[in-house]
Amino acid sequence: MEHMAKIAFGLYTLIILGGSILAVGSASLVRAMVGLIATLLGVAGMYMLLNAQFMALMQILIYVGAVCVLIFFAIMLTRADGKGEEAESAPVRKNVLALLAVLVPGSILAWLVMTKPQPTTGIPVEVAIEKLGLGLLGPYALAFELISVVLLISMAGAVLLAWERRGGK
Amino acid sequence: MPAEFIHILIALAVVAASVGALGLVMVWVERKVAGHIQRRPGPFEVGPNGLLQPFCDALKLVGKQLFMPNGADPILFWLAPVLSFLPVLVLFLPLPLGDGIMAQNMNLGLLLILAFSGLSVLALLLGGWASNNKYGLLGAARGVAQSVAYEIPLLLAVLAVSFQAGSLNLAEVVKGQGTWPWQWNIMTQPLAFLIYLVSALGETNRAPFDLPEAESELTAGFHTEYSGMGFGLFFLAEYANMAVVCAVATVLFLGGWHGPILPGPLWFVLKVSLLLLLMVFLRWTYPRVRFDQLLNINWKWLLPLAVANLLLTAFFVKFAQYVVVK
Repeated sequence: MEHMAKIAFGLYTLIILGGSILAVGSASLVRAMVGLIATLLGVAGMYMLLNAQFMALMQILIYVGAVCVLIFFAIMLTRADGKGEEAESAPVRKNVLALLAVLVPGSILAWLVMTKPQPTTGIPVEVAIEKLGLGLLGPYALAFELISVVLLISMAGAVLLAWERRGGK
Repeated sequence: MPAEFIHILIALAVVAASVGALGLVMVWVERKVAGHIQRRPGPFEVGPNGLLQPFCDALKLVGKQLFMPNGADPILFWLAPVLSFLPVLVLFLPLPLGDGIMAQNMNLGLLLILAFSGLSVLALLLGGWASNNKYGLLGAARGVAQSVAYEIPLLLAVLAVSFQAGSLNLAEVVKGQGTWPWQWNIMTQPLAFLIYLVSALGETNRAPFDLPEAESELTAGFHTEYSGMGFGLFFLAEYANMAVVCAVATVLFLGGWHGPILPGPLWFVLKVSLLLLLMVFLRWTYPRVRFDQLLNINWKWLLPLAVANLLLTAFFVKFAQYVVVK
């Protein structure tokens, strides 16, 4: 089983990396969305490896089944083909900055994980869904509520971006 | 190679074979029912009562040339039918045919079915968009609005039953019900059953809610440009999705394998077939709704009713626990 888990880990990593490269690199918006879907499915697979089945299925149900369908709805309202008005690639400076934005936090996290490894439990244990629910409503209620602020921030960010665009034109 | 891996592979092969057989039977049943409802015999020439007609249809579909329209996105165009069919195979794994007869006993079986059935909507969208065809795109646009809307009451209705059963494991839900019809969940959750049935018709794009492929308005909707097995896979996936929806309804509301005298798996298959027959009858009896009607039914009726049903169920379940503890 140990070998199978390692093979699966490698496979999911490849899916996540390939999907995310497609998601940022593709000229066609719909292809980019397919890349995003592949990435999300790969992450769901990672949750499965951690024996967090509930998380994995929720990831598929919410992100792939609902969020991506809504993204698609938004895409259909734009000119999404490769020759659309927003299809040309960004200037080099922006690409470098984007690469830095990925590499800096990534390498800091990687350095932390490598130098200060967390004690692991070895074989992951499946947590019963009842325990999960009680935990979310009991000891972890504050963290659970704080996470939902992320949605609020992203909504505010989207509105801000839209305003800036309209002002510029 | 570990035994569990081989176990799942065998289960998937069995499921794939049965989905093929199911498709053949359902095509024949649908055409026969349609014929008799319209006062004609339906397929009659090939084999006794046209029984061999679906085999000829299948061979024709397999043999046809695969075409792709100019300007279509080649990868997404061919990805769509495959993506619509593959998740269906997973959907059959957690379904309990009898006491202990299932491909994979999962604690989150119900969630697995709900999660993976969402992927077929995505396939519909990709197919409609990648065809580079106005009818395909309109079908896809309708598909999005419809599936996003009808998924919510469906989930809420299913959730009410799992509140009552206290489990997402399909076998556990069945074990909580009894042999006789008055011990089934449909007696305590009649409203949830109705909501489930209507939203299931919406989710599987069956008439009277087959707006994404409305023939008289959009030629064939999202699969207008597909020929041969490209269309065949969409078609098979639709029938397989219908079977899954009916099987889940049987498990949640109609007592699953429970029933007097006859063995369990037979009861299960019998109930699923009756529900499938009901869906076929509905298709040939009711006219297609208009799109605004479709959305109004969902947002103004099904959704409030489903929420009220869920709240009432939660209240009664807690109340019962409280009384038992006292």
